[in-house]
Amino acid sequence: MKNGENSNQFSRRNFVKSVVFASILAQIPVMLHSCKNTLAEIFLKITGTNHILGHRLWLKNFPKPTEIIEIPILIIGGGITGLSAARQLVKKNKTNFLLLELESTIGGNSSFGTNKATSFPHGAHYLPLPNLHDKELISFLHESKIITHFEKEKPIFDETQLCFKPQERLFIKNNWQEELIPKYGNSEVANEEINRFFEITSQLKEEKGFDGLYFFDIPIKTISKDKKYRYLDMITMKDWLSNNKFTSEELLEYVNYCCKDDFGIGIDFVSAWAGLFYFSARKHNASTTENVLTWPEGNGRLAKHLAKYVEDKVKKNHLVYEIKQKDSLVEVLCFDAINNKSVIYKCEKVICCTPQYINSYLFKGRKLSTKFQYAPWFTATISLKKDSELNNSELYWDNVIYKSKGLGYIYNQHQTINQIVDNKSITYYYSFSNSNLKQARKEFLKMKEEEIKNIIISDLSIAHPTIKEEIVTIEIYKMGHGMISPTPNFIFSEVKEIAAKSIDNKIFFAHSDLSGISVFEEAFHHGIDVVNQIFNEATLDS
Amino acid sequence: MGKKFLKFEYLLLFAVFIIATCGLIYELIAGTLASYLLGDSVKQFSFIIGVYLFSMGVGSYFAKFIKKNQLNTFIEIEIIVGLIGGLSSVLLFILFEKVDYFQVVLYLLVFITGCLVGLEIPLLMNILKEKVEFSELVSNVFTFDYIGALLASVLFPLVFIPQLGVIKTSLFFGMINISVAIFLTFLLQKEIKNSLLLKFKSIFSFLFLVVVFFFSDEILSFSEEKLYGENIVFTNTTPYQRIVLTHNKNDYKLYLNNNLQFSSADEYRYHEALVHPAMENATNIENVLVLGGGDGLACREILKYPAVKTITLVDLDEKMTQMFKENTILKTFNQNSFLNKKVTIHNQDAFLWAKTTTKKYDVIIIDFPDPSNYSLGKLYSLNFYKTLAKLANPNTVVVIQTTSPYFAPKSFWCIHKTVKQVFSNTDAYHVYVPSFGEWGYTIATLNSKNTFDKVNRKVNQLKFYNHNYKSLNQFPKDMMARNVEINRLDNQILVRYFDEEWGKL
Repeated sequence: MKNGENSNQFSRRNFVKSVVFASILAQIPVMLHSCKNTLAEIFLKITGTNHILGHRLWLKNFPKPTEIIEIPILIIGGGITGLSAARQLVKKNKTNFLLLELESTIGGNSSFGTNKATSFPHGAHYLPLPNLHDKELISFLHESKIITHFEKEKPIFDETQLCFKPQERLFIKNNWQEELIPKYGNSEVANEEINRFFEITSQLKEEKGFDGLYFFDIPIKTISKDKKYRYLDMITMKDWLSNNKFTSEELLEYVNYCCKDDFGIGIDFVSAWAGLFYFSARKHNASTTENVLTWPEGNGRLAKHLAKYVEDKVKKNHLVYEIKQKDSLVEVLCFDAINNKSVIYKCEKVICCTPQYINSYLFKGRKLSTKFQYAPWFTATISLKKDSELNNSELYWDNVIYKSKGLGYIYNQHQTINQIVDNKSITYYYSFSNSNLKQARKEFLKMKEEEIKNIIISDLSIAHPTIKEEIVTIEIYKMGHGMISPTPNFIFSEVKEIAAKSIDNKIFFAHSDLSGISVFEEAFHHGIDVVNQIFNEATLDS
Repeated sequence: MGKKFLKFEYLLLFAVFIIATCGLIYELIAGTLASYLLGDSVKQFSFIIGVYLFSMGVGSYFAKFIKKNQLNTFIEIEIIVGLIGGLSSVLLFILFEKVDYFQVVLYLLVFITGCLVGLEIPLLMNILKEKVEFSELVSNVFTFDYIGALLASVLFPLVFIPQLGVIKTSLFFGMINISVAIFLTFLLQKEIKNSLLLKFKSIFSFLFLVVVFFFSDEILSFSEEKLYGENIVFTNTTPYQRIVLTHNKNDYKLYLNNNLQFSSADEYRYHEALVHPAMENATNIENVLVLGGGDGLACREILKYPAVKTITLVDLDEKMTQMFKENTILKTFNQNSFLNKKVTIHNQDAFLWAKTTTKKYDVIIIDFPDPSNYSLGKLYSLNFYKTLAKLANPNTVVVIQTTSPYFAPKSFWCIHKTVKQVFSNTDAYHVYVPSFGEWGYTIATLNSKNTFDKVNRKVNQLKFYNHNYKSLNQFPKDMMARNVEINRLDNQILVRYFDEEWGKL
């Protein structure tokens, strides 16, 4: 401390001045620091399936029903199965129905979000070209103008809805290669095994049973009764691979990726029948080139086409919490989350297009078999900074990182005809492949947003080391029950058959988890079949 | 005493002469660089001269505040002017990539140099005022000042720019400036304080400029001068592309993303062949659509037909069309076509624009960049031509630049085949453009009876095309390709062909 004469010169004015100055000085490091923080800060948003509302099914603490609505046919669940069932009802001229959906949007796994730059899928994001013999699907694609016309009985797909080039790439050994099958720097053994593997699957693709039907076909209901390959459902894909002396890392990683992508679980846990189904059920005979159909909003586009049939018949934010039979009718108790009241629907026919883990809460005494396994998933839609490296690079539609934990990312504006896309958006996919999916789900739902963010960034950093600085926002979409995961002894199991059985010709069940495989085609056909079943049985009755 | 004063005076007057020469040279360099890099030389020179003179005034004003150590200050200013002026062109050349703040730097440099030069004369007069009679002093100082200015303005364009180029000229005069300072520190060591420090400063600065002078070529190799092997007169980076204009003798070349867009010596061949076969043949030419062609050269050719009522030009790059509308050099290429009232420019994505347009056009001319990447490949896809067909009447004639049938026959015939899927009546033709090589086009219409050789109207003053279509549509064997696929958005086969074929070269 300075004393004496000079300290007197430290006038009030000087004092105020120096305090102001000092406080400004003191702010500088804080400001610099906060600047740095805002630079590093990524705007995080978490959404997902409405598990909060969904979990009220455990407690059933809903208000007493105050209204009764009579409707001949009621569809529960607005995923692809429910929407497809609705379409089929309209086609059969049975338009007196309603559809109840728990979420605020329809589409289920095919729902989508939008940000400033683009639409993006929450889950399912493409449809492989249909098998030529899948008449129902082809006719739906034609009516939706996805197939423009036919030439020599082969469908011609709309050029702008087929996946544009460049399509798929794999980041392997610090290098991006074209296509997802590892090629770059493969060992000779790996190449030999990859060839042998595809020889087997292409043989399975063509092979038919004694009834002239394919052993592997989509939808699964159309496969041969011949049980020649059913044994494959008793072992895991990993076992099948090692039984067939497939050992190279490249092939195993590739097959593991494919299984995780389609079933949520990898080769260690998935049924070998399901694993081979992935490679053999699609015949690629509708077009000369193998391709997929895709849209910025993913299969949300297909859901929109289906939803044209139900525009005025859908009630969203409606949670069905109990279904019971009463006086020859079915009573469906439903909570209307918008108006916070409960309603009783009295119906002649109820179509439950809900997954089986939901159905077990809706009916008294209906137990869910542990064989119904659902892998938890999340997707994360990332908006990139305008000047970032990734934003300025040429992105492929599907970008996969070899041996990574996640499933890579898709480029949401891939199907644009523009020359330039200013703000690119990518959607990252992640499934929790685990021996105990229930436990994995519990842990996942408890995860903090920061943890999920770190999973995403550390995974993407393998191929894009500076990704952390290139992100503006991340929108995470959580799905506790992402999809049905066919573990061994499930697809042909009795429990699955029992779950699919209708009750007293009044309550019907349809969902892709009753196929054991969560793909658009299965859900689409379940919707059609369940309506056909109702009206065939109804005709039989009369 | 008298002799010594005389020596002192002439020395300082010689310094005035050098200073004036150098000062004007820096001004000329700034003006030259500004018009090279920013275009519009009248505007740039006028602004630079104005700012320079004004800042000299600012410098002169502040000279009166320098009371102590005037001689020292004078020498120090000399060194600083030499450094800043000498390095200005190097700095500007390195910075011209960042055009956004290039002008700020440019004018700041002009201002600083101007201020310092402006300080010098009053300062010198102050130094000399006690030693020389005032009227003589004023007239002597200004005489040498203006002689220096004359010398500079004559030598700059005639000797220095052709011999040394802009960068070396500015460095050279920076060195001269500093050598004056060195001379003064040695000759007047007794008059100045702390002469050792000044000697060190001036010699060090001089050596620094010498080093930069000898390495200036290496410094420039960071810029694109070497890449083009020609004198760059103009560069601009738009959000979509990098535009570089080079000059060599009587030939200007324009590069977009390092690809030659045109050479002023022979572009008439390319553009006459692009425009006239369609224009002479179409039944109607009132409304013409140009997609791409942001250089305005196709428009120039179209405007030769008085019957044309409207030209609609769609080019993504606003900066590009703006430049070809306003830049003095560039405007001479397209003969002010973008200023013509018939021309309407839409700066939009051509594919998107075409999807939303409902108007029909009599002639459609497509001058897109070659399909060298997947983005550009979309503009050659089946879906694009289907979209385009909706803008055409049955008699509309469409012409598309379709790369070289000699270097890239598969690419050429792939585009042709793709167009044929939509416009069933197509033909192809080619022309030799020395700077490009053999170049080709696809011409198409929905009218199956058109054979493309009927001439409905002619233009007389063409340099190359003689309205004889049949002279262009014969293809020798080495420009043919069979078994090509149709280019679609989902296969982008054209980009692969193009990459294969041009990649070989």
